[in-house]
Amino acid sequence: MTEKKELVYTKPELKLGYGWGHCPGCHHPIVEKLVCEVLEEMDLAGRAVGVAGVGCSFGFFASINIDGANCAHGAAPAVATGIKHALYGKPLVFTIQGDGDCAAIGGGYVLNAAARGEKITIIMVNNANYGTTGGQLAPTTIMGQVTSTTPHGRNAGQGYPIHLPELLVGMQGVAFTARAAPFTPAGYLRAKSYLKTAFQRQLGEAGLTFVELLSACPPNWHMTPLEAIQWMEDKMLPEYPEGIFKDSGGEQ
Amino acid sequence: MSRGEIAINEQLCKGCGYCVRFCPQSCIAIPGDRFSPQGYLLAVFTEPDKCNACSICGWMCPEFAIDVYRYVEAETPSA
Repeated sequence: MTEKKELVYTKPELKLGYGWGHCPGCHHPIVEKLVCEVLEEMDLAGRAVGVAGVGCSFGFFASINIDGANCAHGAAPAVATGIKHALYGKPLVFTIQGDGDCAAIGGGYVLNAAARGEKITIIMVNNANYGTTGGQLAPTTIMGQVTSTTPHGRNAGQGYPIHLPELLVGMQGVAFTARAAPFTPAGYLRAKSYLKTAFQRQLGEAGLTFVELLSACPPNWHMTPLEAIQWMEDKMLPEYPEGIFKDSGGEQ
Repeated sequence: MSRGEIAINEQLCKGCGYCVRFCPQSCIAIPGDRFSPQGYLLAVFTEPDKCNACSICGWMCPEFAIDVYRYVEAETPSA
């Protein structure tokens, strides 16, 4: 009897080259991996069109084999709406946006897409600051967090963090909102199942689906990657709990 | 006895340590004296005997740098 090796895990086939240069410890490539794996498992890669926002999500479609578009800052839900309405054959349309893109500049786009009940999926990657521009205060910065524009920590005078999945629960046009933290193995599997459900609800014409995924930003938090995920576990998860906040179950 | 092994691509590894942190069998380590061509510290598969090919290191790797192999028993072809 001899032993053979069987490849059980490698990069998804939809991933073409290798990263476009994210910082060590960033979870944006994990989101790429999740989206690729979910599309492969659901056999939807040929029908999927993505829209990347501005920020660290900008190069999302540079190295994965999915049709994608880039658009003006915050406007990804509007562009995705146009793509969804213009294409024949029920495409799967999703956006990849950072928290600054989705919650700050694009907040109005998200709320209006939700009010119209557009059948798109919005994936927001939340790293609690503006990562691309040097770690300034973002709408999702948690209380007490030190950023380059809040050197003494965010206090009540600078407002409170936005929780978009919870906020969208009250909108009638929204079918599914959830949040996952794919920096642990359990969170990774949870994120995968939420993305799958979101895509299913979209294809079932249930309404807008929204998934928030937490990410580390070690250089801007001035931590090592391992300190960063420890900080996420201690500080960020209590503020941004994982879970499904609304699921219409496919009914409109 | 080992039930699998991993291959870490040294061109891609950025030494974030997520694989080291989450490996349930503590098979991976960052020794600190090996560097990638880009200058990052490298993660090294130090305990091949304990690996059970669970793939968690592969899920957690942000750089798509880890391939996981499982050993399968194959019949020896009869002579």
